[in-house]
Order: sequence, then structure tokens, then C-alpha cells
Amino acid sequence: MALRTSTANTHKARSSLLWRLHIDVPLLLGLLALMAFSLVVVYSAGGESLFLVEKQVIRFGAGLLVMFLLAQVAPRTLKEWAPLFFVVGIAFLLAVLFFGESSKGAQRWINIGIRFQPSEIMKLAVPIMVASYFADKALPPSFKHLLISLVLVLVPTSLIILQPDLGTSLLIAASGIFVIFFAGIRWRYMLGAALVGVIMAPIMWYFVMHDYQKGRVLTFLNPESDPLGSGYHIIQSQIAIGSGGIYGKGWLNGTQSQLEFLPERHTDFIFAVLGEEFGLIGIVALLALYLFVIWRGLYISLQGQDTFSRLLGAALTSTFFVYLFVNIGMVSGLLPVVGLPLPLISYGGTSIVTLMASFGILMSIQTHRRLHST
Amino acid sequence: MLRKREAIKDVGRETSIFYMRCVIALIIVVGLMGFLLAREIKLQVLDHQKYQTQSENNRIQVRPIAPVRGLIYDQSGKLLAQNRSIFALEVVPEQVDDMGDTVKRLKEMFDISDEQIEAFLEQVKFRPKFNSYAIKTNLTEQEVAIFSANQHFFTGVSVEARLERYYPYGSTLVHVLGRMGAITEEDLIRMDEWDVENNREVGTTRQRYAATSKMGKLGLERYYENKLHGEVGSEKVETDARGRVVRVLERLEPETGQDLHLYLNLSLQQKITQLMQDKDVRGAVVAVEPSTGGVLAMVSQPAYDPNMFTGGISSKDYKKLLTPERPLYNRAVQGTYPPASTIKPHLAFLGLKEGVITPSTRIRDPGWFSLPNNNHRYRDWRPWGHGATVDVTQAIIESCDTFFYDLSVRLGINQIYEGMTQFGFGQKTGIDIVEEKVGIMPSRDWKKSMRKEPWYNGDTVNIGIGQGFWTVTPLQLANATAVLANDGIRYNLQLVKEFAQANRYEANTPVMAYHQIDTSDGSWLDLVKNSMRKVTEPPRGTARSAFADAEYTVAGKTGTAQVKSIAQDESYDASKIAEKFHDNALFIGYAPFEQPKVAVAVMMENAGGGGSNAAPLAREIMDFYLLQELKINQTSDTEDEESADGAAN
Repeated sequence: MALRTSTANTHKARSSLLWRLHIDVPLLLGLLALMAFSLVVVYSAGGESLFLVEKQVIRFGAGLLVMFLLAQVAPRTLKEWAPLFFVVGIAFLLAVLFFGESSKGAQRWINIGIRFQPSEIMKLAVPIMVASYFADKALPPSFKHLLISLVLVLVPTSLIILQPDLGTSLLIAASGIFVIFFAGIRWRYMLGAALVGVIMAPIMWYFVMHDYQKGRVLTFLNPESDPLGSGYHIIQSQIAIGSGGIYGKGWLNGTQSQLEFLPERHTDFIFAVLGEEFGLIGIVALLALYLFVIWRGLYISLQGQDTFSRLLGAALTSTFFVYLFVNIGMVSGLLPVVGLPLPLISYGGTSIVTLMASFGILMSIQTHRRLHST
Repeated sequence: MLRKREAIKDVGRETSIFYMRCVIALIIVVGLMGFLLAREIKLQVLDHQKYQTQSENNRIQVRPIAPVRGLIYDQSGKLLAQNRSIFALEVVPEQVDDMGDTVKRLKEMFDISDEQIEAFLEQVKFRPKFNSYAIKTNLTEQEVAIFSANQHFFTGVSVEARLERYYPYGSTLVHVLGRMGAITEEDLIRMDEWDVENNREVGTTRQRYAATSKMGKLGLERYYENKLHGEVGSEKVETDARGRVVRVLERLEPETGQDLHLYLNLSLQQKITQLMQDKDVRGAVVAVEPSTGGVLAMVSQPAYDPNMFTGGISSKDYKKLLTPERPLYNRAVQGTYPPASTIKPHLAFLGLKEGVITPSTRIRDPGWFSLPNNNHRYRDWRPWGHGATVDVTQAIIESCDTFFYDLSVRLGINQIYEGMTQFGFGQKTGIDIVEEKVGIMPSRDWKKSMRKEPWYNGDTVNIGIGQGFWTVTPLQLANATAVLANDGIRYNLQLVKEFAQANRYEANTPVMAYHQIDTSDGSWLDLVKNSMRKVTEPPRGTARSAFADAEYTVAGKTGTAQVKSIAQDESYDASKIAEKFHDNALFIGYAPFEQPKVAVAVMMENAGGGGSNAAPLAREIMDFYLLQELKINQTSDTEDEESADGAAN
């Protein structure tokens, strides 16, 4: 029934120019609203610097372009190319481990004419690969298919952990696991996985995690233990948010950010600037915008016409949520400090382009349906 | 062909499962967002007050402002201690990316010693990174210019101006003014003790010094620290995370410290210093204004330049001060020496007053003295004696030892102790310098407690010529001289005449204003003073050649103190003993005799005889002060006095 009504709507929409350009208007409006919000906050967090705003505008432009281009690619094509995309991505990850360039103690970059992080590719390649794997399998997945899909997730995740880049590897693992979740994995398997996770936690702590990562967790558990060191970030961001109150201190008036008490204020900790200057009202507005984008993503996924589109769309949308949840949770002192930006709000980072690419895929899913239905 | 183990795709079931999963996902998303929102409500609504306060504490700081230290002037308003802006190269560690490289490049550009770098790095290691630390102080104008031109190569490094004490006359006044030094942990503890002593809340003084890094360590700077320092101010400032002041919200101005106006005459101080340096003399000279007890000059040689200590002295430079000549040692207030014959007038006065001698008492002088039933001979400085018999006047004029050996035995140590204490011996002069020593005015009790021995008559004999256990400071000598000039009034010696603050002057009133010695029974004091006058006059005065043709009248007394005891059958021969065992030369005197303007005590270490060495120095000092500074013209008076005197004899 739901399908029938939405089909009627799509018939109306199909006639519009934007539809023919494979653009989903509600999603685009949600994204543009977030971008506008970003520019306002970046201007303040960057010390009223138009320079940063201009660079951010350029990045958003590039992101919109990538989104537009990916929207033109039919999901079917994406599915066909998935294995090659995935294998190339793995090859790059291996290359990074052997020939990559280091910065700040982590080897994440590779230079092939342009310098980029292969892990960004995997943010898309992993969910695409797993979704395409499940596309023609009977669902809910059998135990064997489950194991194979898990291998597809864990191989790139492990390679990225080795760089080391815990934040990104968790995101990529999440994006793959979301596909498995939406594929209808049985609850008993999920329970089993949770159990394994509990058992793995101490092993991760002692054998996989680096000292700086352990430090972050310890600081998170007790930030006051090191108020001038690593606990400083968490303490200062909570002071910023808390002192904002309901109405905020006003745009450009946040003392925590303007007087530079808040570190990383235009990048990872930009949420604290927003909370300080716009208060609870600003935060509610931001969360509402995010919720709208997520709702639209899931709505598009629900309308997807094949298994691949549905799984991929829902997984990408969910991953977007993980991004914002981890970042806001970290800045608000709910989660340990992980180097993840606030999606579409934080200044800079390749993440903007990757995120916009995933929204391009969602738009493609939404607007390529008629090719299948007719 | 499907393998049998592969399940068949059931599109309807898959769709409903996916639909369910999406609903679950949406519920989880909304739930977690609610969780985030709950957290923000906790931070922004429930705990808002707490974070609001923390945010204010972050941004607003109350900073103390150091007061400007009071200045020090001489009697004619010449500035002796001032505050000068000095430039320092300061580094904020937090703003420096590579400290090692920055220090290396600074070292290439400026003359910075390894010691300074080490001290700087030590500070940086243990103190907050957002503060500013000096790596080099006392920059010259040229160095400031060089740095300014290259500043953009040095992030986090800047040239800062701060006020530092500067002494324009350097070593000339160091033993009067003292010097400043960094506030140490011990100083802070002492501040707490002051608070307790003055019934203030402990910590009040530390608060007062919150912005101050140095305090007086010696001399007047130390004694009047409380008045010179001033009152700390404060400002409420908004700072950024690096501690940089963004703006000043409130300001409470500090109160400048009080200025000191001294009795000291800078020209006289300079003249004496010059004379002592020319003669290459170690020792001390103190000149006092008898009518007030004000110190006109107080010189201790050798001395050192206190400005070397500004910005910290290097250990190399400090070692240079630790020579056997001991320039750091303030001989005028801390040096304790045997007074030798300079105290003979005082003993004579005491003998006359106590009635153990009269002006006509004559003592047999074979050139030595011995106690009854003892063949130890206490020798006179003149081996053949001063004539068959000697009276008190002649004994003073010629500094006859035998007479005073005898007198001291007549008086006995108890009376000597009582009488000499009246002149201030063995007591503080009250000078406004904390480091003042009292010397030793020996007594039976003193010997019993300090030496664990009874007092012997032989000890008393030595006291008669100002030797033995008796030691005095040059300050005490000058003061005891002023007492004679003042007809028995002993003032508290003071360097500071008045305090001034914002054009309000306040006289310095010492705790003990003065002390009057009982001179009512007879003209004994006049006799002693007249005898002292003849010391500086022909035919027999021990200082007659030093004061030949003086344009004013002088009362004086020479002294030559043995540093090494000479055995019974030896005689003193300067050429045969080490320089440090040579006699100390002393002279005390005041002038003009009729209306004393200055009392002087000269003490020259290992310089030989007082008459031939110390008296000429006193002559030059008096000539300078009376003739050039006060411009007294006494030529006609002198003639009158001489004829009057001649008649009296």
C-alpha cells in the first residue's frame, strides 16, 4: 500500500527537471541547510575568518559535484563494478601499509599523482561490496553467507586498524555490519556476535590498541585526571556547551571558542562552538536537520527496487548517523575522544566529499527506479 | 540450476524483513538522538550555572600589578637609587614550536651564556608553558633593534620592558643602599612570620608581593623594604587560552612606595671613596653630623657594583667577588676591630668622672706598666716613655699607653664596662641597616659565658689601650666621637632623614631618639675635648702633622691597633710580617672644635700607624667637607682660639 501511494507521487515528480538530473529535492534541501549552518559556525569558530569559509564553500562545491556525478550512475552499474572497486581499494590499503606517507604517527596517505587516503574509498567500497554480495542471495542470510560477508568487512577494517586509524576502521566496520543487519541477520547471530565482542574487548585492549588510543579511553573515563593534557579537550568542550545554556551566548560571542580555550574548535569540536553560541535551541535545530536527512535516507531505501539498493541505501544512511552520534557523543563527554568530524558541519577533511558521494548514491537509488519498474 | 543447499529468494519476506529493520533502525536513531539531547539538556539546562561559572573563571583573571618602588635621594636631592626600564628577551614556551632550534638561533644572534640558557630551560621545564620567561635581560638598545628587525623569525619570542632597580653611583653607595635580590622561598616564609608578628592574616604580605619578583636584600633596601615597596594593585582582565590579555575590565592602581631622603652627602661619600681608592686602602670611614646623628658618609672599601646583580649575576662574576679583600663585606657596619687608642679620651673622661684620677694626677712612666706582684711588662708604644711622670692631658695628646694601663686598673672592668656602654660600645648604634654588628664590650659576665674563664687583671690592662677583647665597629667609633662633640648626647645614628610619598614628607623618628651621658659633675668633658684638640696641634699632638695649617680647629685621637700579638721580647717590624698582620690605622675626630659639623671615624686595615696614615685621610675628608661643601671660613676664629688656648695653658 505504501508502495502504491509513493509510486503515484513519483509519477508527478518524474516530470520535473531535477528528477531527470537524478536529484532528490528534499534530501538536497536538507543537505544545503546543513551546509549553510556549517558556514555560519565555521566563520565564528575560525576567528571570523572568511578564508576558512571560502575554502569550506569550495569543498562543499566539490562534494555537491561528486554527489551529482554519482547520482547519474545507476545502482545496477554500481553493483556490477563493486568487486573491482573493492579489490582496488584493498590494493591501495596494502600499498599504504608498505609505501604510504606518514603524518602524526599514522601511515594513512598514498600519493599517486594526487595524495589521498584509501580508507576514504573503503567507506563506500565496503558497504557497496557487501550489499552486492547479498543482492542475489536468499535472505535472511545463511550462516555461510554471513561468514563470507564478515570476512569482506573485517579484511579492510583490519588493514585500516594497522595504519593505525581506529575511528575510520570502526566507521567502515559499522557500514558493512549495517548491510548485514538490514539483510535480516537473525537475532541469535547478533546475540552471538555481541558475546564475541565482549570477549574480544580485553584482547583488543591488550594486543590491538595503541597507547594513545588507550589513553583516550582512560581520559574519557576520568577527564579530571589530566585537566591540562588530554582531558583538557573534554573539559573545555563541556564547559563551552554547558555555558551556552538554552539560548546560547550569541553568534561570535562564545568566549570559550573566541578566546581559544576550546581546542580543535573549527574541526572535530565544532559542535561545542555551536552549543556555546546557539545554545540548546541551536542543538535541537541541528539534530532536527540530521533527523530529517536520516529519515529521507531511510525513506529512499525503503522505496529501493532491488535488494542491493535497499541494503546499500539503508547502510549508508545509518553510517551517517554513526558519524554524528560518535562526534556529538565525544564532544559532549559521552564517548571517548575519537578523531571524527561532525558530518557536513566540521571544517575541512576528505570526509565531506565521501559523505556527499554516499548521498549521491542515495539520490541515484531514488531517481533510477523507473528504469526497473517499466 | 540452483544447488539444493541454496535457499530460494523470497522477495515478499525479504521486503517485510527489510521494512521491519528500517523501522527498528529509525527507532534506534530517534532513541539515540534523544539520548544526545538528554545529555545536552543536562549540560545546558541542569548544570548550566556550574559551566557558566567555569567559563567565566576561564576567561577572567585577576592579575596583581607590581607597585613602583620608592626612590632614594641624598641630602641635596640627588637620585641614588632609581627604577630603570630594562629590556629583556622573553619567550612564551607554548607559542614556540621547536624550543631547541629557537634557543640555538637566539644564541647565534645574541651573547647568551650557556648558564643563562640552562637556567631558562630549567624554568620552562617546571613552570606553566603559557607564561613568559626571560632568556636574556639587560638588552642594549642595539640588541633591541637587532631583534625587532628579526622578530618574525622568532614566533613566541618578544622584547619586554620591565622596571629594574638601578644605582647610578654603583659601588660608591653599595654598602649604604644595599641591593635587591630575587624573592626566595625563605623570604616567603619570613613574610608569613611578619604577618604573625603584626597580627595580620597569614598570607597578607605574600599577597602584597604577588606581582613583585625582587626585594631588598641588604642595606637600606632591606631595612626599609616595607616602606619602599608600595602597595600592590590589581586588574581584572579577560584573557585567552594562552593567557594573553584581550582587554582590561577593571583596574585598581598600585600605590608607589615611599621615597627615602638621606642625611648622606653624595659629594662627601664620593670624595672619601676616591681618597680610599687612591690610597688603595681597605677599611671604613664614617662621617656623622653630631647635632642630629645623621650619617653624612659611610664608606667601606673595597666595594662592588650592585648593578651586576640586576637580572642575576653569573657564577663567574660572583666568584670574582669572593677575593681575600672581601668587597661584599660591609666594614662600616659589620667590621669589628680593636678600637686601640681612639677610646683613650672616653676612658679619661670616665676616670675623671668616677674620681679615680684628677686633672693633676701624674703617673710614673718608665715606658712600661706592670701589675703588682707580676713581672709581665705592658709596654708603651714609645719604649723610653713619655717623661718621668704624665698627667691625663699629656696622656691623651701623646697617646701614652702607660697612663691608660694604670687608669684601667684603677677603674676596674666593671666601671669600664658601665661607662663605655654609655658611649654606645657593645651596643647597636640604631643605624637603619639590619646587618649591623655590635662588636664586643667585654665584661666579667661576657668572659665567663663566652670564654668559660674568669676575668683577669691583665685583661683589664689591655682594655686600657683599646686592645684585648674589646672590638668596635667604625659606626660605633663615629658615634662615640659625636657624643664627645655633643657634650654627652648620644643620638641614634640614622641614614634616612625623611620619607616622602606624593609630596607628603614625614620625618624619620628613630625608636631611641638620644641618650644623655651624665656630665653634670665638673668640666671633665671640656678637659678631654681640649686635650683632643691638642692632638691635632703642635708641639706634641700625635696628629699634628696631618692637621698642620688646617683652616679650622679639630679635636681628634689617633689609634694604631695591633692585629698580631707581639711577644715580650719582640718589637713590631712591619717589614718582617705578612701584610695581613700589619697594624690597623685609626683616627677619630670632629670639627670645627667650637661648633662641630662633622664627626669622623677612620679605620684602615693593615695600614700602619694611625697618626701617619689614618689622620691624613681624615684631614682631607674634613677639608673637603668643611671648606668645599659647607664653605666655612674660620681663619680669623682660629687665631683667636689659639691665643685663648695659649693663655689657658
